[in-house]
Amino acid sequence: MRYCLPQPYQELSHTADVGLETRGDSPEETLARLVLGLAALLSGGGPVPWVGERALLASAEGADLAQTAIAALREVLFRFAVRREIPCACEVRRLAPGGADLLVGFGHYRPEIHGEGVDVKAVTYHGARFEPEGAGWRARVYLDI
Amino acid sequence: MERASQPVKLRRVHDWLWEIPREGAMRVPGRVYSDGPPAPDDPALRQVANVAHLPGIVKYSLAMPDMHWGYGFPIGGVAAVDLDGGAVSPGGVGYDINCGVRVVTTGVDAAAVRARRHEVAAELYRSIPAGVGASSAIPRLSHQEMDEVLRNGARWAVGRGYAASGSDLAHCEEEGRLAGADPDAVSDRARERGADQLGTLGSGNHFLEVDEVAEVYDETLARAFGLRAGDAALQIHSGSRGLGYQVCDEALAGLASSLGRYGPDYAALPDPQLACAPVSSEAGQRYLGAMQAAANFAWANRQVMTGLAVRSLCRSLSVSERELSAAVLYDVCHNVAKVEEHEVDGERRPLLVHRKGATRAFGPGDPRVPEAYREVGQPVLIPGDMGRYSYVLAGTAGAMEETFGSSCHGAGRVLSRHQALKAARGRSLHRELLERGIEVISRGKKTLGEEMSEAYKDVSRVVGVVERAGLSRRVARLEPIGVVKG
Repeated sequence: MRYCLPQPYQELSHTADVGLETRGDSPEETLARLVLGLAALLSGGGPVPWVGERALLASAEGADLAQTAIAALREVLFRFAVRREIPCACEVRRLAPGGADLLVGFGHYRPEIHGEGVDVKAVTYHGARFEPEGAGWRARVYLDI
Repeated sequence: MERASQPVKLRRVHDWLWEIPREGAMRVPGRVYSDGPPAPDDPALRQVANVAHLPGIVKYSLAMPDMHWGYGFPIGGVAAVDLDGGAVSPGGVGYDINCGVRVVTTGVDAAAVRARRHEVAAELYRSIPAGVGASSAIPRLSHQEMDEVLRNGARWAVGRGYAASGSDLAHCEEEGRLAGADPDAVSDRARERGADQLGTLGSGNHFLEVDEVAEVYDETLARAFGLRAGDAALQIHSGSRGLGYQVCDEALAGLASSLGRYGPDYAALPDPQLACAPVSSEAGQRYLGAMQAAANFAWANRQVMTGLAVRSLCRSLSVSERELSAAVLYDVCHNVAKVEEHEVDGERRPLLVHRKGATRAFGPGDPRVPEAYREVGQPVLIPGDMGRYSYVLAGTAGAMEETFGSSCHGAGRVLSRHQALKAARGRSLHRELLERGIEVISRGKKTLGEEMSEAYKDVSRVVGVVERAGLSRRVARLEPIGVVKG
């Protein structure tokens, strides 16, 4: 299923940086919302008009779901860093410990509308969670900014 | 702000020093320098205790008085490990490898800068790209040029004419270059992130600042450092930009999912962000080679910005380079791991010292201190916040004995970015600072809110702790006139 901006996410306070928490009915929905939560931070909440889409493969051999989710976010962040691509839609086609396949619709960073976006250096492993919660799922990562 | 659920036990050693007793799998106790007792539920204390689990750590897991919650390591953390059997932790250096600060002295009267503070700040802002993904200060580096930068650090930039004076390199920690850099260990992705970022400031707490040397505490030391009350000085705070972030990111990704590869001590580390490898392992050596190359990139970055800033000041003040008479006082790393010899149990031993948000502070007589400062100890540069002041200190013998020659690195945050933005709501920080004689230019209003003075501890209290503890001596106080934020 494809999810588009905006999606619900919660920013968690951290002394120097920021945490990102999402919930979903399935692991795939929860990861898609993490990707789009990161996009919302990068864009400062500004609109992200669709430019194209890209298949992303996140590989993290031996990793649990939390580390696999981090691997997916690292791919998104790398594309933002070098190509200024910000996700505006996300479909998680496969998610399992060790790997994930995503189809990400993206737009481009434009300083005039995304100027209040967060300059994310990296997605950290500190306090990372990806786990069942009640009937659904919850994920949490902290970002170094 | 979210707090750790488990309070940490603390024992008072002095009014300024608190110990976390060794318990569980901690290999050494923790020691925290602090202005009064730290809050036992501060998550940073748990991180000090976590670092004490690192294989090969010696003496203590240390935290400086500007300590705050980080990832794996606390910001303000110092940990030294044995080269033989010890572990290197990319998280113990951090993503912004060799984030650091330099002070450039000038022979120009601060009053002249104050009179043209808007032009000065605006010209710096125009000359040095700042903010999210800032790029293109200088032409994009080719693969070969990048190799030279990664190998030679600040020396590369000086060779291209980016300099304040002929003594710039001599006045950088390690002369602006770590010799163990291995450009081949830096991935194509890291190179791609850094290729057009040399000479750029970045965002967050990075800044350019023109200051007045407002007060000199020790005339002899100040003279040795080239500081004179009433003169203008420049501070540059930045690091290795996207290249360094990527180097750390890739190293952690390689280690985090397979901590058990190096044995049960590694598998049992309490935070995956502490992921590490034996110093002597292939992964450890590869990371160290890449990390040192990224550190060199950071030095080149600050050196290019120095050259650009000097030209910018000449333009805005309508003076020649000769009249500006700029010279690098010193350049220090805040985030780095380096092999250094220190005394442990009465014996000199080579150790890998991780400093994550901490400054080297070697004392008088140490041969690793530049010759110009060897008699008095190395300059220790402590930026504060954009609305108050910063300090220049000098390293001491006390730091050599107690903290592997380390001191604090700044003020340390007390408010999260969210809390700061909330506190800034409805205020014009730009106008408030202007009324106090400080011209601030930033890419966005949000940065100003996040970086407001109240978001930080009063750096004079932090500096007071390291002085009382004998880790550094106060030399001079700098006060801002013009500030550029990303």
